[in-house]
Amino acid sequence: MSRRIIFNLVQVLVVLVFAPLASGVLSRLKEMVQSKRGPSIFQPYRDLWKLFHKDEIISEDSSWIFRFTPYIVFVTPIFVALLIPVLTNYPLFFAFMGDMLGGGFVLSLGGFFATLAAVDTANPYGPMGASRTRMVGFLAEPVFMIVFFTVSFVAGSTIPYIVQEKWVTPLANFFMPSHVLLVLAFLMLVLAEGGRIPVDNPTGHFELAMIDESKSLEYSGRGFALMKWGGYMKMFVLMCIFLNVLVTPWGLAHEQALGAVLVAIPLVLFKVFCFLLVLVVIESSLSKLRLFRISEFLGAAFITSVAAMIAQVFLP
Amino acid sequence: MSEATNQMLENLNALAGGLFLLAAFGMVATRQARGCLNLFITQSLLLAASAALLGFRHHSEHLYGVAVVNLISKPLVVPWLLRKTSPEEIYTRREVDQVLNIPTALLMALALTILAYFLGVPLSNAVEAEFRGPNVPIGIAGLLLGAFTLTVRREAVPLLLGVLAMENGAFFAGIAIARNLPMLVELAIATDGLIIVFIMGVLTRAVQKHVGTTAVGEMATLKEAGAEPVKEEAVAK
Amino acid sequence: MSALIILLIPLVATALVCIPLPKRWPMGVTVVACAALLVLTAQLAWRIAAGEAFVSALHAGMLKWIAVDGLSALVLLLIALVATTASIFSIGYMAQEGLTPGKLRLYYANYNLFIFSMLAVPMAAEPTLVWIVVELTTLCSALLVSFDNTHSALEAAWKYVLLSLMGAGMALFGFLVLFAAMQAAGGGTYTWDGLAAAAPQMPPILLQTAFVFILIGLGTKVGLVPMHTWLPDAHSQAPSPVCALLSGVETTAILYVILRMFPVMRAAPHSHPEAWAIVLGLISVGVAAFLLLQVRDYKRMFAFSTVEHMGVILTAVGLGTSAASYAAMQQIVAHSVTKSFCFFAAGSTLLALGTREIGAVRGLIRRSPGAGAALVLGGLAITGAPPLAIFLSEFSILKAGLTQGRYVVTGLLAIFIVIAFFGVMLHVNRMVFGAQENGQHAAPAIHHSEGSNGNKYRLPFSCGLALILAAVPMLLLGVYIPKPLHDLLTLAGAALTK
Repeated sequence: MSRRIIFNLVQVLVVLVFAPLASGVLSRLKEMVQSKRGPSIFQPYRDLWKLFHKDEIISEDSSWIFRFTPYIVFVTPIFVALLIPVLTNYPLFFAFMGDMLGGGFVLSLGGFFATLAAVDTANPYGPMGASRTRMVGFLAEPVFMIVFFTVSFVAGSTIPYIVQEKWVTPLANFFMPSHVLLVLAFLMLVLAEGGRIPVDNPTGHFELAMIDESKSLEYSGRGFALMKWGGYMKMFVLMCIFLNVLVTPWGLAHEQALGAVLVAIPLVLFKVFCFLLVLVVIESSLSKLRLFRISEFLGAAFITSVAAMIAQVFLP
Repeated sequence: MSEATNQMLENLNALAGGLFLLAAFGMVATRQARGCLNLFITQSLLLAASAALLGFRHHSEHLYGVAVVNLISKPLVVPWLLRKTSPEEIYTRREVDQVLNIPTALLMALALTILAYFLGVPLSNAVEAEFRGPNVPIGIAGLLLGAFTLTVRREAVPLLLGVLAMENGAFFAGIAIARNLPMLVELAIATDGLIIVFIMGVLTRAVQKHVGTTAVGEMATLKEAGAEPVKEEAVAK
Repeated sequence: MSALIILLIPLVATALVCIPLPKRWPMGVTVVACAALLVLTAQLAWRIAAGEAFVSALHAGMLKWIAVDGLSALVLLLIALVATTASIFSIGYMAQEGLTPGKLRLYYANYNLFIFSMLAVPMAAEPTLVWIVVELTTLCSALLVSFDNTHSALEAAWKYVLLSLMGAGMALFGFLVLFAAMQAAGGGTYTWDGLAAAAPQMPPILLQTAFVFILIGLGTKVGLVPMHTWLPDAHSQAPSPVCALLSGVETTAILYVILRMFPVMRAAPHSHPEAWAIVLGLISVGVAAFLLLQVRDYKRMFAFSTVEHMGVILTAVGLGTSAASYAAMQQIVAHSVTKSFCFFAAGSTLLALGTREIGAVRGLIRRSPGAGAALVLGGLAITGAPPLAIFLSEFSILKAGLTQGRYVVTGLLAIFIVIAFFGVMLHVNRMVFGAQENGQHAAPAIHHSEGSNGNKYRLPFSCGLALILAAVPMLLLGVYIPKPLHDLLTLAGAALTK
């Protein structure tokens, strides 16, 4: 049992350490696709290090929410990392603490506080971005729900570890229509929740058009570093859920040995890298949607997930 | 064939069905005429794939023939014919204001799909066990969604593609339950589809030339009440 | 063998029409071809009425799916008859339009193709083949409906094609389910006869679903309410001879396909096609009768009258007895000949005055006695005034209904017919005899009237000839049904109730 606790902690460490790397690789790849050189893949680490050593300036008119939020945004993805399969395909110590629905709620707790903090300082761009984030959030909720319910309908459980087994054995289950359609719907969700194109432009500097970036407009120094790191980790966690539960539930450690778990780390990183390639293709070939077209995008995601459910029900 | 392969084939067939359904939803919702055409081509490819998979599963060369016919006629010949007969610029048309806004249209399409499910399952239960599967309900859904496309779209090309999508849907159901339809009939139906495209393309060109727009759904002047007021020239000359 | 020749003649005519020869060539070819068709179909009908059964002599490939029995022969005869009179009428009508020779050739080529597709409908015995040919009728007539290339004609053509194809899509599904039902009943040849034989073993849900889909899908093409919205537009915007074809025989040919489903449904236990037929029929008659009161365009008036009569025929078939079926067949014949006459009259009116609006036409009898007389006669005939053909057939239908004891159905039918009578005659009366306010000839003249204001308009000779030719059966059938026709009608009615 102590081994399971250790593995759980290893899992959290992996998420903590490698999340900025994933973000750095993504930026570099995007720049390379555009025939530029791009920043080093370790740049996010340098940024975080720099920010931790800078002073923090906090507005006098802000409340405890503003000071408290960076910690919440940093910690919630860690909690979710405890619940999902990152390295192993057998449940770990904290695995039954919450299921996928619970994980989703924990992530949105972080988003909730970030929205409140953006409103807290009375910077005009903060609430604008916050309301847009909420719009994307509530449009994405039904998709989340339907995806989770379909998955639990198929697999008979909402614990990610148990769900993930269902798609692997037998192999024919991988091609079930509900599975493929769920992958499509969840991909659209990842794009929406992670603030990527076509929903939002993560590299934009134009405050009037920001959706997700606006939550960290007012932060500086340590608060900013925590918000950034939390953002990276949220994206990494979403990718892990997507890859390890839905798309490629292979390459995870089967035995309960530390060696197997350590071997699983590069495999997971490789899967993340492949997904980043797909993400780069999507981001480079689409353009950002106009704000009110986002509801159509998420509507399409909703329809895809419902189609997955229907196809599942139609199967004899 | 082994049970595992059968299971895999059936799952792949169900996958083709799911994507078919998705393509039908897409045809209701896309704004652009070109997007609609691409979705139609995808739908036809999925129909051919389903026919081929079912043929492999049930050892029926007849279904392979159906797959080939569909593969050649719809994804290849239909776009070519459309390009020849209707003017090029209608592919760049988008529907800026629609009959129903897109999320509402999608929700109604969903309701139609559920209706199709309730119609289709008793039907497929009435045939022998080996014919069952998702094809019949998804086919009926394709049929109803094609009809729904005809009511919500206004541009000429999506309307035409809606008609062809209805046929795709009827066929998708048909390949599961009416398996031994003679090959000549299949060919004739495919040719029929091509003639439809030809005639409607010619009509579109005529509409474009004489009316000036291809938003054909907006032409609604022939009515009883509200028509041009009768010119009662009761003037004493 | 003669059946194949019947099919080949229009195809050959199409090919010949396309040869660019002097101006009279296309018309001549068409008229000759249609006359030949009339002779051949009459001969075929005679032979079948005398008791000869016809299945294609050749059994190769698709050809074993061509079969002609009483009902088919009747419809074939009607198609050929109306085609001939309409082609004669076209000569005069199209000459007035001042078309380029190329466009004229296009018209006649399309015309012949349309005739071919219509002829194939009663001859095909395999349901999916029938479906293909039904689609062909839509497609071949689409360009004919839009022939004028005006805004309204194109709108009408577009609506026509779209709704017909939508209905055809549903009907395709119906036919595929029917095929599956056939397979589930143990196989057999997939023809109308084979279906009737296998019907008792078919799973009822499959058969009923197929019937409903086919009824709704093909009902769109027939013009049953509520799928009729395209019909007034298409049947009024097309050139008048085409309207005669569309209203007179095309809707009848598609109704034939629906009627073919009835013996199949009756052979299966626990199915009630009659209920569907009566309900849909009565709704069509009722809605059409009320809509007739408020038309503004006299060709639309006749188009609504087509909807009404299709409803009457369907109701008659729904009554179910052999007397009612005979009366329904009689109504089919009467409607075809009368409706074509009406549209010829409407076409003549259009030629004389250049407008389609009822309000703009007054005192037609003074401007063009021929057109005026024809319009009055047509109006009386189509609404069932004695002693014309439709009166006799509607009377037979009502009598059959009363003897069966179906008072409600018969009563409703009678009321709707009377309403339609008043509607049509009101409009026609005002148009033909109404006092002319001033010498009004509405401005947007589609056909330039040759006479200047106030002069009498002389109809072209061919139009008058067509009117007379069309009037003959209309008047004859009102008083006397020749024995061969009577035998044919009996055979056709029996094909429905067997």
